[in-house]
Amino acid sequence: MTRMALAINTERCIGCQTCTLACKMQNNVPDGMLWNRVITEGSDIIDGAQGVYPDLTRSYLPIACQHCENPACLKVCPTGATYKDEQGRIEIDYDNCIGCRMCMAACPYNVRVFNWSDPVRGTGANYGDKDVPVRPKGVVEKCSLCKERTDRGQEPMCVQNCPYEARVFGDLDDPDSEISKILRTRNTRTLLDHYGTNPSVFYFA
Amino acid sequence: MQTSSKYKAALGVLGVLTVAGVAAWIYQLMNGLGVTGMSNGTSWGLYITMFMLFVGLSAGGLIVASSASVFHIEKFKAVSLPAIILSTVCICCAGLFVLIDLGGIQRVWLMFIGPNFLSPLLWDVCVITIYLVLNILYLVFMTKYGVESHQVAVTSRFALPAAILVHSVTAWIFGLQVAKEWYTAIMAPIFVASAMDSGLALLLIVLVALNAAGWLKFSRDLMQSLAGLLATCIAVDAFFIGCEVLTMAYPGASGAEALAIMGAGATAPFFWFEIIGGLVVPFCVLVFAKNRANTGLVVFSSVLVVLGVLCKRIWLLLTSFVVPNVYGAPGIPSGSSAAAHASGTGMWAVTSSYAPTWTELVIVVGVVSLGALAFLVMARKLLDVKAAPAEAKAADDAAVAGSAA
Repeated sequence: MTRMALAINTERCIGCQTCTLACKMQNNVPDGMLWNRVITEGSDIIDGAQGVYPDLTRSYLPIACQHCENPACLKVCPTGATYKDEQGRIEIDYDNCIGCRMCMAACPYNVRVFNWSDPVRGTGANYGDKDVPVRPKGVVEKCSLCKERTDRGQEPMCVQNCPYEARVFGDLDDPDSEISKILRTRNTRTLLDHYGTNPSVFYFA
Repeated sequence: MQTSSKYKAALGVLGVLTVAGVAAWIYQLMNGLGVTGMSNGTSWGLYITMFMLFVGLSAGGLIVASSASVFHIEKFKAVSLPAIILSTVCICCAGLFVLIDLGGIQRVWLMFIGPNFLSPLLWDVCVITIYLVLNILYLVFMTKYGVESHQVAVTSRFALPAAILVHSVTAWIFGLQVAKEWYTAIMAPIFVASAMDSGLALLLIVLVALNAAGWLKFSRDLMQSLAGLLATCIAVDAFFIGCEVLTMAYPGASGAEALAIMGAGATAPFFWFEIIGGLVVPFCVLVFAKNRANTGLVVFSSVLVVLGVLCKRIWLLLTSFVVPNVYGAPGIPSGSSAAAHASGTGMWAVTSSYAPTWTELVIVVGVVSLGALAFLVMARKLLDVKAAPAEAKAADDAAVAGSAA
């Protein structure tokens, strides 16, 4: 078995949004939408700080689909368009999505985006990977853990492009993988773990 | 019918509004749900609000009609037929709102060939279908065999539990979502209670109107008992909402944050209107027997109850969408049409807001008009047939009540 996962070193993340754009380019994500984004944790403004001067901290949180082991979105999909594949990735069969947006209401992480209108791209052309399906209006989409790339044995684009190497991609079921070692040796956390979704995206510092 | 010209005028106005709604819906189909005010942050809006409202409004009619048979409440039988017509029309409107809310309505059949039985939305589609079939059967049996018939009695025994289930399942669409403020076991009881009070209130308004139009004899005695039942339902609804609010507030944790939005934030006007206008005022009016005999006060309270429950649907749905669970700037890519072409941080939303667009409002008015139109046509056709016995029955009831007093 394989369980593909990500580990993100938030101490290395500088909030440059390179992963955001790498993801957008790879996956042909249209204008006004993103599958992956970096938020300034707990702050109302970008690059804002937490705390009271002079005791301030600032931390960034890259966030995309958490590829949960117990995904809230998957259960609620009336057509089964959202599914978990053999590699543990949560994927969407766009042809099966009826656009009810039940999954968006269910997802605790707000990482699903909807094609509210016909997708518009500033370039006037599709810029994504040739294997990435083009989504029409009226369907939900989100991070696929770069399905097309990881199927070919490559790393997800956000991992490949991170200039600070804050992201690690690997197989949790392989004890020798770098990500398994990180999980054994570092204090990792998952987002909103009290909901019991059991994400496959781990954060550590 | 002396109201014939008024009737035709009503049909005309409702017809025009319906056509406007259909036109707006076609516009929405062509351009996508981007023509609505919804966004990736607030991914459900007015359509789902109206869906919840109309599922609830459907309850009153069916519960009155079927309890007439199940619990042998003889005087309710006089209004069984208009009650069921109302129930049928409302559930059809509710179904329409769900379909209108779909982004890919052309693929809706996929739900039937590849259903995921874990989805509360699928349960709801199944239960609403069963409920609609029962309503239609009820209507057919009642017009064919009469309200006292065996067929009606049998259908009513299925209809009453189906009515409870349809509200519960609608509640579970929201109440089973762990990551939202909706996640509470009291959601289903609240939906049943608010369905009963709003449904009864709408039924009262409609019966008073039918009585005024001379289509039906709605005795004062019956109005008083239905209004008494309404007061009870309001009290139960208020009790459940009180339980919910206290449970949210007491730990002072995340529930209290949502409560702050309801009490003093974006959804506060709806919350307070519901508490005061939808629960306290109508209860205080209807709790006195003297007021329950006053048609004006009964209609006033009923209108308040329906508006109150509408407000409840609004704050219930939207409060949960305001603040994302994982909070931080720049927030969520909003995804709305306006945001897609915005510059700078305009495409983002740290917290989410929502206001319906004109397209949404016209579509909603269109669906409600279509419902009213269907009700008028069906009521006119079916009540004409039944006018004589219903009147006789009502007159009998009045006489019985008179002698009892």
